[in-house]
Amino acid sequence: MAVTYQSTRDHPMPRPSQWSKFFRNNASIILIYAIILLVIGTAAISNENFRTPSNLLNILRQSIIIGLIAIGQSIVVLTGGMDMSVAQVARIVGLTVATIFAAQDSNPAMILPLILLGLVMGTLLGAFNGLLITRTHANPFIITFGIASILRGVNLAISTTPIRGIPASYLHIYDFKIGIIPANVLVMALMWVIAYLFTTRTRTGRALFAVGGSERVAQLSAIRYNRTLVISYILCSISAAIAGLFLLSRTGVGDPSAAEGMDFQSIVAVALGGISLYGGKGSMVGTLGGVLLLASLSNVFNLLQVNIYYQQLLLGLIVLVTVAAYKSPRSA
Amino acid sequence: MVSISKNSLSNQTILTLKHIEKSFGGIHALAGVLFDLRAGEIHALVGENGAGKSTLIKIITGAYTPDRGIIEINGTTYDSLRPTQARELGIAAVYQEFNLLPELSVAENISLGDQPLGRLSLIDMKRRCDRAYELLEHLGAETHIDPNELVKYLTIGEQQLVEIAKALAINARILIMDEPSAVLPSRDLDRLFAVIRALRDDGRGIIYISHRLNEVFELADRVTVLKDGQTMATKNINDTHNAELVSLMVGRPWTDMYPPKDNTPGDILLDVDKLCAEGTVFDVSFNVRAGEVVGMAGLGGSGRTTVCRTLVGLGAIRSGQITYMGKPAARSPAAAARVGLVLVPEDRKAFGLVLNQSMRFNLSLPNLSKFLQMGVLRSQPEKEAIKKTISDMQIKPPTPEISTENMSGGNQQKIVVGKWLLANPKLVIFDEPTRGVDVGAKAEIYMRIRELTRQGVGVIMASSELPELIGLSDRILVFHEGRLAGEVERADFSEEAIMRLATATELA
Repeated sequence: MAVTYQSTRDHPMPRPSQWSKFFRNNASIILIYAIILLVIGTAAISNENFRTPSNLLNILRQSIIIGLIAIGQSIVVLTGGMDMSVAQVARIVGLTVATIFAAQDSNPAMILPLILLGLVMGTLLGAFNGLLITRTHANPFIITFGIASILRGVNLAISTTPIRGIPASYLHIYDFKIGIIPANVLVMALMWVIAYLFTTRTRTGRALFAVGGSERVAQLSAIRYNRTLVISYILCSISAAIAGLFLLSRTGVGDPSAAEGMDFQSIVAVALGGISLYGGKGSMVGTLGGVLLLASLSNVFNLLQVNIYYQQLLLGLIVLVTVAAYKSPRSA
Repeated sequence: MVSISKNSLSNQTILTLKHIEKSFGGIHALAGVLFDLRAGEIHALVGENGAGKSTLIKIITGAYTPDRGIIEINGTTYDSLRPTQARELGIAAVYQEFNLLPELSVAENISLGDQPLGRLSLIDMKRRCDRAYELLEHLGAETHIDPNELVKYLTIGEQQLVEIAKALAINARILIMDEPSAVLPSRDLDRLFAVIRALRDDGRGIIYISHRLNEVFELADRVTVLKDGQTMATKNINDTHNAELVSLMVGRPWTDMYPPKDNTPGDILLDVDKLCAEGTVFDVSFNVRAGEVVGMAGLGGSGRTTVCRTLVGLGAIRSGQITYMGKPAARSPAAAARVGLVLVPEDRKAFGLVLNQSMRFNLSLPNLSKFLQMGVLRSQPEKEAIKKTISDMQIKPPTPEISTENMSGGNQQKIVVGKWLLANPKLVIFDEPTRGVDVGAKAEIYMRIRELTRQGVGVIMASSELPELIGLSDRILVFHEGRLAGEVERADFSEEAIMRLATATELA
């Protein structure tokens, strides 16, 4: 083949500075946090109820449940998939645990076994999702949507009215405070750190990106493709199960409408955070930003008593504008 | 159909290409091609893989814009063509991959771009059916294809005829056939040839691409040999012979890019016994020793790549056995890599690199277990290993965080090779290790391969580039249509010998 030497760009054009490189490589993350600062700043200046420490803590607390679910969702979306069953998984765990508590006369000794039961349920449901997807090679959206539909039916069968009889000590899990800082916010922070380290500093975490980047390349790079996918769905369902357990502790009743809409919200948080819905690209730091943005927006809306219809409209606009801003002109 | 008598148009040149050049990212796919086609002739186009045949077709059909040169059609000169323009000028191509919608009928497929309309602007189904019937009939051969049959129920040979009928539907005067015989069972060949001859006798110009030289001699009126993107010669078929064409196809200057052979083959690492795989590889047996380079030659579709993929556990083994270091070989790439059997795949963009990720990510990917400490990836050992690979492979720019999609082909390929060398393999399979890379990167990769054999690593190198096979291999396995056509020992190496096995031609 006639070949010419190719310039390998030994000396690239003016060397970009460290800062501009940082901005270029983390554009989506910087964008989302800038928007959060803008929202919070505007709200803090214009509304004195907003800037109270207790309200700011409130935002963090409001972001716990959706945050847990979004962590799991991020893992799945990184592989190029999507889990539409997260809300129903959270709900079935809450309802099951509540039902057993009620049947056991609110026995506090059941707390630990039931938490374990919740985690096992999450693991099994996630494995079921993952195995169905890897065995059938069907679209993850459809598979998990089907599972969600089945779980919704089961949940309705468990109860259509709130289930009472949760032991008081279980409620303390959510309310426990260290000084003025709620313990749940600290636990949450720890969860995000673990999630970040998992995606960046473990072998499976690295494999998520490879699998989401290209199935064929991942396989030929000695990555166990099916195993990685199944693990990602298991982790996603476990995080949804933890969210369900937390939610039960917060509301104090087994709520048949618990976690409603969290499936879509979690995907919105992930997308706002700049994780590519095609997989292979993004970061937990971005998802955290997406979660915080959703939480602070809903807080601001409530303080300003914005009509719920306009809330939906504004939220939709913000999603569209942010995602459009991420789309770099080159890939268009 | 309007039939044009043979004599009125014959010998009139309908297509001329002058000094066509086209390069992709610094690599010249075409470097000054001269070609002409007359009405009423079958003009064969031959050349090795990568000689530029496909690029040339795409320029004629308007898919590519040439960098330089002119295209002359029926006396009018063009710098380049647009696909619709090419169609209007009567240029049509039949590729190996058919452009048919399997769920639609033959008639619907033939009229797809131009549905005959009846009253109320609804599609006139009867007219559409008649037209399909007429066109198929016109092919002259015994087709017996029902225009209302769904395409998916047709045989491959019948589908090909539908493709040709589609070309007739736009009244193509220039018909390009890209290896039409490669997809056909041999019993359908005679029918295809009869159809092609009938089209020629209609006064159409046919460009016929094939790897099978005996077909060229049976069918063509003239033949043009392409090599390295240049026209080597255009000959009347009666003025040439097999050996001349083969030497025109391969005859290129010997370069000293190949490091001297200094390896000594050791024990058998891999033994393949009567392997049949995926319905495209049949009864293949060979072995590979430690410290030895076994070349694999063969034209596109010869089964070479399938064998490579099967060795690392991709795709099903129908029958036969693969034994690696005394045990049955692993059945997944991950398991194979754990025992040191790795594949550097062809087509780095599709199989080799996670393109939107950094060089560091890609180099680390198969080696993550090396950097683990209690389940956590340590960045220090990772950084050091990456730095060493970058300097060993001379990857440029040496920036670990650069995104691989922005790198040149040569440097991308060095990453794909480098990531596997980092894994300390015992047997490396290279599939087209130097396709589309610059000379410098080629030399670098050859040096790595030599170095591997010095360390006692076994190497399989599948390649379409005969000089590199000859320059590096200890022996060369030649594949033809899914079977091992023969094995050539180093003492008997010559491009002619290999090409003869690969094209299954007997030298006259």
